[in-house]
Amino acid sequence: MLGAATKRSQPETEGKKGEMTESRPNTATSTEPAAVSGRGAKTIETRGVNLFYGDFHAVEEVTMTIEPNKVTALIGSSGCGKTTFLRSLNRMHELTPGARVEGTVTLDGEDVYDDRVDPVAVRRLIGMVFQQPNPFPTMSIYDNVAAGLNLNSTKVSKAQKDSVVERSLRGAHLWDEVKDRLDKPGGGLSGGQQQRLCIARAIAVEPEVLLMDEPCSALDPVATLAVEDLIGELKNRYTIAIVTHNMQQASRASDVTAFFNLDETGKPGHLVEMGPTQEIFTNPKKKETEDYVSGRFG
Amino acid sequence: MPEVARAEYLEELANLEASALGGLDLVNAALGRTLEAVEHQDVELAQLVVADDDRIDGRYLEVHQALITLLATQSPVATDLRLISSLLHVLKNIERMGDQCVNICKVIPISGNEPPADQEMVRLILTMGRQTKTLITQAKRAFEERSVEMAQDLVRQDDVVDDLNRNCFRLALEIGDDIDKREWAMTMLLAARALERTADNAVDIGEQVAFVVTGLFREFEDASHPEG
Repeated sequence: MLGAATKRSQPETEGKKGEMTESRPNTATSTEPAAVSGRGAKTIETRGVNLFYGDFHAVEEVTMTIEPNKVTALIGSSGCGKTTFLRSLNRMHELTPGARVEGTVTLDGEDVYDDRVDPVAVRRLIGMVFQQPNPFPTMSIYDNVAAGLNLNSTKVSKAQKDSVVERSLRGAHLWDEVKDRLDKPGGGLSGGQQQRLCIARAIAVEPEVLLMDEPCSALDPVATLAVEDLIGELKNRYTIAIVTHNMQQASRASDVTAFFNLDETGKPGHLVEMGPTQEIFTNPKKKETEDYVSGRFG
Repeated sequence: MPEVARAEYLEELANLEASALGGLDLVNAALGRTLEAVEHQDVELAQLVVADDDRIDGRYLEVHQALITLLATQSPVATDLRLISSLLHVLKNIERMGDQCVNICKVIPISGNEPPADQEMVRLILTMGRQTKTLITQAKRAFEERSVEMAQDLVRQDDVVDDLNRNCFRLALEIGDDIDKREWAMTMLLAARALERTADNAVDIGEQVAFVVTGLFREFEDASHPEG
């Protein structure tokens, strides 16, 4: 049990409402290390989510289901709130001073924003990969991947850690490229390799959901395709939501597409249409969506 | 930001649509000459139609290549993608209709300058041809106006052509024992068959209209399951 807030006066019972329960054995006591696989992808549901930065209403009334073992692409023009929405799913939105969330976000029915839930635990179950690859530049490749384990204060033996690092790097399609230089700094890798290193770091702690905020926008086309291939494979184990400005990437890499828009600058962004990617890109139901995916916004 | 983004691309796509559908005007012109050649057994005019088919083929190649370039460079999606996909189909239909005119014109010399023509059969062929021209004109208009109703009406128009084709067949069976006349009737059946196929191509274009508008493709008539 990881999700319950760590500093609480009342003891919690596993499965009680408000806990973020997990099936992974506690790595502090288990003989098994955290593994890349072994955890089931989960469903994220949002109901009437409104997001605020102080008085500014950034996102309005988003109700959607992000299904497991699928890649859900969030698309929309700049400022429509898609990244803000993504960050609300693992409680990163609240890290911004003045930021506020209304509505509910659940992970397989468990309320992510329940008072008794530890946000740090949420962020471990719902990992995030950012626009700019952000490995710890001077830290070794090995330690970059193991960083999540260390930060989660779990006591893991060297052998267990070796196993996690290898499985995570293999899971991120990076192992063969770095296995002979695991002690070299992560900052020495190419951009595409750094992004895959960040993905390895994210999956090392066994998340159930991976959120990706424009993960390929800083990568060249070859590295982009490598990451897209990886995303296609990762969906077999995780729930994946990806924010992208790249329409072709959304059409190539996702199963479901959600289009966000805002009526005018200063107004909150909202979900316009969500559906199978193939439908959104061949026969969207709403003209607004059609205009956006066709590049006719103006 | 301009009111309409990607204005050049949209203009290019509109021009290509006009150019592709303009191919139907070329077909109608070729079909008009073909019918004239049949009516007057004009071998020279028939040869002109055969030679002139290069214009229809050229239109096909030119617009096809430009559409492929648009696909490669502009990543069209949604309605634009459906339109381009449809235009590629329509172009193929146009190219086939041009070829059917050539097929008819190629059999005219076989029957000679003064064939033992049966006037009733010539009348049927000419009526079929004019009806087919009507279908082609209507298919073009249905596409331009994105009218599914007008496109579906092509099936009704095509039934008229099919009936005339069957009448031609019956007439050929009853044409008599004269060997030259029977040979002539056989060549005219080939012409009738070419016209019947041309009308079917017009219906195919109508199906593409429905696809552009609705995003769903279905055959208006399923020849392999006529009762379905």
